[in-house]
Amino acid sequence: MHDGSHAATLEAHWGGGASPFGATWQKTMMWIFIVTDGLLFSGLLCGYGFLRMASPIPWPVRSEVFSIPFIALMTFILISSSATMGSAVAAARLGDRRKAVLFLWATILGGAAFLGCQAYEWSHVIHEGARLASNPWGAPQFGASFFVLTGFHGSHVFSGAVILLITAIRSGLGKTPPQGVEMAGLYWHFVDLVWVFIFTLFYLV
Amino acid sequence: MSETIQRSPYRVYWVTWAILLVITLAMLLAEKLHMPRWFLVAFLVAFMMTKAVMIGGNFMHLRYEHRRMTLMVAAGILITSLILFGFITPESWHVLSSLVR
Repeated sequence: MHDGSHAATLEAHWGGGASPFGATWQKTMMWIFIVTDGLLFSGLLCGYGFLRMASPIPWPVRSEVFSIPFIALMTFILISSSATMGSAVAAARLGDRRKAVLFLWATILGGAAFLGCQAYEWSHVIHEGARLASNPWGAPQFGASFFVLTGFHGSHVFSGAVILLITAIRSGLGKTPPQGVEMAGLYWHFVDLVWVFIFTLFYLV
Repeated sequence: MSETIQRSPYRVYWVTWAILLVITLAMLLAEKLHMPRWFLVAFLVAFMMTKAVMIGGNFMHLRYEHRRMTLMVAAGILITSLILFGFITPESWHVLSSLVR
């Protein structure tokens, strides 16, 4: 009796039945993963904020360390790859496999271009003398913040590109359903979303 | 809205792409305008959040998801980040003052 009323109370408050979030379990789990991964980057960005605010030595002026137009180009590439990814999801939903695969390859190309730009940026900064614990421009914590933030993000872009590569090949063979393309797309857009925060808080502010 | 999506399924992504580019350009130009530091930071953060909402809403389709899903994602990340930042900020000032002393 008690159990029954408890279940009724839960049902009244929750009321979602088998699908409380109104989505398939795959999508729900993907979103939960994205939230946890988002919290990882949130922690990293807060850690960067702490290092910067607690530093008695002035933080380097970013325009003197990086080429901001080059960083803007990286942002352009990532935003464009998100648009092609969205188009791939739309095409897959419409059942247009050829177009979906084409957009997926365009997205992979964007991801590869972004990674190439990042490799160039890293090698340039390392060549200038930046290390994890030191750099020639100012607060020594700057190097650690840069390498950890952009490194974690870059590793996400890399894994996203690998996931997209597998999705593109499998979609071409007709083995990945539209929902699979959508899941890969959610991850790719998340990577773009994280870059929005890194670009603003690390490179511009 | 769903009719619009059915008629032109790609449009929403490319319109969002164009708006994101314009916002990014505005953020880059803002640095050149020599506005007060606090205003520049507020401006950049406001535009950053606008971009995040556009990516989450239009690219990740959160605006079409169930409200519980949107709430879980937005509240989960935002509230936790704000709590973390709220604890970290005074602590960083404390560390800075002890280092400068």
